Amino acid sequence: MTAVFRIAALGVNTFREAVRNRVLYSLLLFAVALMLSALVLGKLSLHEEGRITRDVGLGGISLFGVLIAIFVGVNLVYKELDKKTVFSLVCKPIHRYELILGKFVGMVLTLAVQLAIMAAVLVAVLAVQHLPVEPGLYRAIVLCFLESVVVASVAILFSSFSSPFLSGAFTLGLFFVGRSLPELREVTSKLDLGAGGRVLDAFLYVVPDLRLFYVSGSLIDGHWVSIHGDFIAWSYVASTLVYAVGYAAVALVLASIFFSRRDFV
Amino acid sequence: MSEVVVRADKLGKTFRLGLFKKRVEAVHEVSFEVERGEILGLLGPNGAGKTTTIKMLMGLIFPSRGKAEIFGRPVPTIESKRELGFLPESPYFYDYLTGQELLDLMGQLCGLDRATRTRRAGELLERVGLGPARDRPLRKYSKGMLQRIGLAQALLNDPKLVVLDEPMSGLDPIGRKEVRDLILELRAEGRTILFSTHILSDVELLCDRVAIIAQGRLLESGPLHRILSPLLLHTEIVLESAAGLELVQLDPAADVNERLRVALAEGRRVVSVTPRKESLEDLFVRELGGSVERAS
Repeated sequence: MTAVFRIAALGVNTFREAVRNRVLYSLLLFAVALMLSALVLGKLSLHEEGRITRDVGLGGISLFGVLIAIFVGVNLVYKELDKKTVFSLVCKPIHRYELILGKFVGMVLTLAVQLAIMAAVLVAVLAVQHLPVEPGLYRAIVLCFLESVVVASVAILFSSFSSPFLSGAFTLGLFFVGRSLPELREVTSKLDLGAGGRVLDAFLYVVPDLRLFYVSGSLIDGHWVSIHGDFIAWSYVASTLVYAVGYAAVALVLASIFFSRRDFV
Repeated sequence: MSEVVVRADKLGKTFRLGLFKKRVEAVHEVSFEVERGEILGLLGPNGAGKTTTIKMLMGLIFPSRGKAEIFGRPVPTIESKRELGFLPESPYFYDYLTGQELLDLMGQLCGLDRATRTRRAGELLERVGLGPARDRPLRKYSKGMLQRIGLAQALLNDPKLVVLDEPMSGLDPIGRKEVRDLILELRAEGRTILFSTHILSDVELLCDRVAIIAQGRLLESGPLHRILSPLLLHTEIVLESAAGLELVQLDPAADVNERLRVALAEGRRVVSVTPRKESLEDLFVRELGGSVERAS
């Protein structure tokens, strides 16, 4: 039980670090500016203010959620090593994996607050435009949050054994592959690549399926879903929650293994 | 019967560096023990392997060979760290935290409850002279202040073993004296202290025993009086005449009384007569064959 308290303490400290990080504020301000631009674009459109605001707003939340997850995620572990703060922490009676989990908890807390603020701005913009806020919007925002959590876990995994630049590049690459997974699987199934194809299939199997969190305009269980019309139910969100937790857990176990074997020179 | 608190048994570390994984032997088989209640100084020039040895004891670096124990428990385990306080070399902490916040975080990691954390943090901040700076962010602390907050966090869990890696490095003379006094206070409280340094005078002033490391090898270890040669190296006589002061160095076989008689007969004044036995610096030079870095 004490390990839980220690992880919570590290998580709260990581959140405090993110809050006191000015670069994070600039990203947040940029996101807010994007929300406001939805207002302007909505005015320019012909009776499509709601569609424009929801698309731009959700796109902004998704994009900035992922960017924050990558930017902060790849630096979390590296900064501990680079600034040598890890020396004092690891010598306290804690397991090394607690540091990884604490960092992740802080990251999730940071993402939750960031996305909640951006969601509040989006809802406020819709209210200013006298547009209804459908429950589907909240489900879409929760999906954005889950996606950013998965991306954060991947960023922490890479940063447990490589530099921030490489971790950022790897995570960004996996993000694009993860978002295009159905199309890539379709392509590989039609190509006869022999042994290379099997390796590619295995790779695509390991990559997080981020399309699960980006569903508007997709065919889900035989129904087209759209944020502007019929959207997914909470039961779908629950199933993606299970996927996100499972994927993040595997990534964090691997990150903990790598981190536990590192020499802190 | 003395109790062994730290035991390093043939500890060795080989790093593999660069693209071609070139082997670099940082520490060869180093063995020593630290007994309860003593101050052991790990002495050696820069790059000797002191910090690598300490990091292996602290579980920051995994040894390539050998093993280490703290309080009879293998390193690194949670149990081996429970009664341990560690100050890294040139300590870095989260600079966005205040001194009070840092100690609170470290206290939580040590498993202290809120009341104990608050009490211990208050006591230690006063003890290391940072009471007035408790609410200041660490990024505004000077190097000496960081060293002192580092000492405070190392003592937070009331450890029985305190390990200090170059605790005097970068401090001004007053700061060094304060740290020296604190180390002596810690020993008076019954704590065991292991510290590394390349400053010879610190070792002479503080240590019950020393372990000398150079080029990754343990050259010598034991109580200072046993390591240092009891033999007379030479006798220094300072004489004063109309021409000024003159230093005369006599080898051990020379007749000092006769030399003094001659000097007095020549009308010179004897300013001082100093028999010189081996100092730590002499030993250091003897063992390392030259190049001694002396920061003091």
